[in-house]
Amino acid sequence: METLTKKMVFTDASMIITEACVRAGSDVFIGYPITPSNRFYQYGTQRFPSFLAGPDEITVMQWMSGFSAAGKFPVTATAFPGLALMAEGLNMAYAMELPMLLILTQRLGPSTGSATTGAQGDLMFLNGLISGKYPIPVFSHSDFEDAWDMTYESIKMAIKFRTPVVLLTSKELVMTNKSFDINKLKEIIPVKKFSTEVIEPYAPYKTGEEMVPAYIPLGDEKYQVRINASTHNDAGLIKKNDPESMANTKRLKEKFEKRIDEFTFYDYDKEEKAKKLIVTYGISADASRDAVGKLREEGEMVSLLIVKTLLPVPGAILDIINTYDEIVFVEENISGIYKEILFGVDHNPKIKSVNKIGNLISPTEIIKAVKQ
Amino acid sequence: MKKILTKMKMPFCQGCGHGIIVRSIAKALEQLGYENKDTIIVSDIGCSGLVDPLFDTHSIHGLHGRAPALGVGVSLGLDNPGKKVIVIQGDGGVTIGLQHVLEAARRNIDITLVVMNNLLYGMTGGQISGLSTRKFKEQRDFEVDVPPFDIVKLAHVSGAAFSARATSIKTYPDVMKEALEVNGFSIVEFSSLCTSYAFKKLDQLQEVIEPPEIFKNERIPVRIHQRVTNSLFDKLDVVEKQFDSKIKSGIGVVVAGSAGGGVQSAAKMLATAGMLSGLHATMKGEYPVTVGTGFSVAEVILSRSYVNYTGLEKPDVVIIVSEDGLNKVRGKIKDNDTVIIDSSLKTDEYPDAIYGDFVRNAGKRGAALAALAYWLKNSTLIDVDALKKAVSTHKYSKVLLEAIDKGMS
Repeated sequence: METLTKKMVFTDASMIITEACVRAGSDVFIGYPITPSNRFYQYGTQRFPSFLAGPDEITVMQWMSGFSAAGKFPVTATAFPGLALMAEGLNMAYAMELPMLLILTQRLGPSTGSATTGAQGDLMFLNGLISGKYPIPVFSHSDFEDAWDMTYESIKMAIKFRTPVVLLTSKELVMTNKSFDINKLKEIIPVKKFSTEVIEPYAPYKTGEEMVPAYIPLGDEKYQVRINASTHNDAGLIKKNDPESMANTKRLKEKFEKRIDEFTFYDYDKEEKAKKLIVTYGISADASRDAVGKLREEGEMVSLLIVKTLLPVPGAILDIINTYDEIVFVEENISGIYKEILFGVDHNPKIKSVNKIGNLISPTEIIKAVKQ
Repeated sequence: MKKILTKMKMPFCQGCGHGIIVRSIAKALEQLGYENKDTIIVSDIGCSGLVDPLFDTHSIHGLHGRAPALGVGVSLGLDNPGKKVIVIQGDGGVTIGLQHVLEAARRNIDITLVVMNNLLYGMTGGQISGLSTRKFKEQRDFEVDVPPFDIVKLAHVSGAAFSARATSIKTYPDVMKEALEVNGFSIVEFSSLCTSYAFKKLDQLQEVIEPPEIFKNERIPVRIHQRVTNSLFDKLDVVEKQFDSKIKSGIGVVVAGSAGGGVQSAAKMLATAGMLSGLHATMKGEYPVTVGTGFSVAEVILSRSYVNYTGLEKPDVVIIVSEDGLNKVRGKIKDNDTVIIDSSLKTDEYPDAIYGDFVRNAGKRGAALAALAYWLKNSTLIDVDALKKAVSTHKYSKVLLEAIDKGMS
């Protein structure tokens, strides 16, 4: 419901994301505490219909998968050290096609790094996380309204495509308090979990045009459900090197590629006649917004693209980028990870990169790079 | 009633003991009257992981060693005592995922774990596992001095309702039945013959295995707790403009002190005072991972317009109330900054600094708030009454109001 009155509160994006998760119909938060995802855990204990304290992140991912297979939507939040332990389990959940949400709060690496220092260092790991480079959907948010909307979209996507989804964030994005009008947040309607349309005769991994199998929980009274992480046929049983199971494996990539328009999200602030484009995401978006504002005041023509669907890379993002003569990537990491995913490691005279570790990239640093 | 097993031929090697265990599970389920769709088989990796197509039930096939944890998720997720979740894994799976078995036992989750112990890793060439017995290893002259895990005892001391080792195949269906009847976590370790990498005959196996045992704990299973909660936003104070501010565009304030000195709380009060004065506010804190020791620094931005970038490229005001705080912000202070320092920290680094007796007057815990009140009173950028209003809803409002008064005196 849109209201004209403001409702100003002092809050953080951890709270906004947690609240959005529950309103979208999430059933359980399964957590293992890690900085800087602590507030998700804290808010999760207060707000989720159920909460479980896992003994380690490997267990967390297994419990999540069990809940999801039983028809409950699970959420967890971690940072890179936890993600690393979840890697095999995430491959499992991905191959089984289990909906779930993983909130990844980035912090400075490598290894344990600095637990309380933000970063944007984990996108390359996510890009190669699924063996064979099958795409796992990775969404990002850049402000409080985004945090709300992209959480909702993440959960919708996870259920619609039967897949784990990563909501990529970072320390400063979810631990900084801001005054905020919560009446700006759109209404969230709980996402319907189970499939009502089943192609008969039912087979657990049989799909139609949508390329996503019906989501029926284990224990169902009508259908016999078989879920499998190993290479499997439509019946959900291990089968290697036959056309049906290979088609099933390829479908894991194709389902996203075919329907990518349904989950392409970005903010494009286009300046007519601009030949320069700033491309950024997550925590570096705010500094980029300020930099673009100041550059335009100074008469510099520059456009801004804030990407929210990071992976798989939507063609629409590349279409925008390719209309510019000069592209400036802004990311809080040592060498420009998103830039490398899009353009590789070869030198490209069109592309600049503003990078930094240990601290937020400032508007001044972006302005300097754009003017150079 | 439909049979629990499909008509598929056992996929195991000739003479393998796993087939006997599969048939025993099916027999026990049928005797107890479980229907096909009442049963969920959770399988692991290895020879034991070939069982899915044998069972005409629901099934889920996961990772090596993780099936007990996956089964815990399924059982809690279903939250239906009418369904039976049976996890099947081998001795290799138990070894790599020992933690999951102990965790399921500790919580007494309503699942039955079947361990098919053939003393080795059959799929990779017969390597020994954490459950390989000493007598078996003596025959190979390999790690003889390392005893096996007694998974049955471990599960028992962790809290499993029922733990058993069965070594005679005649007893398998009955032990399985007893395990399935348990309300809570039950585990049965069945000895299984690996004809490819261990022995050709059952009596050779009998000579090297541990004896049968049964343990029980009288416990009720731990189930998932469901509850109705309220919106997190309900707990937040809604702040409406009640005061005016002389801040023209924006201002950045750094408060630096020691952990446990009320720095973060004081900064939050300043941010709220700003909001009460119609300003946008942001705040971020920095402190060590320990509690109550070391530095504590907070950055607050108050602005007429919405604040995008929350980093402070250059603070306008720096308030320092302890040595820890001074050490942390030293080097970040630029010329023209207003620097307010507690008198106990006399330093010639900042010739224009303003000194005040904040710690002496308001105590260590009140110093940061007192210093903020002092600054607001002198700068008149925000009405001190806005700060007082901000602390009025705090549970320690009386003490905080005193600190504000001390700062202004």
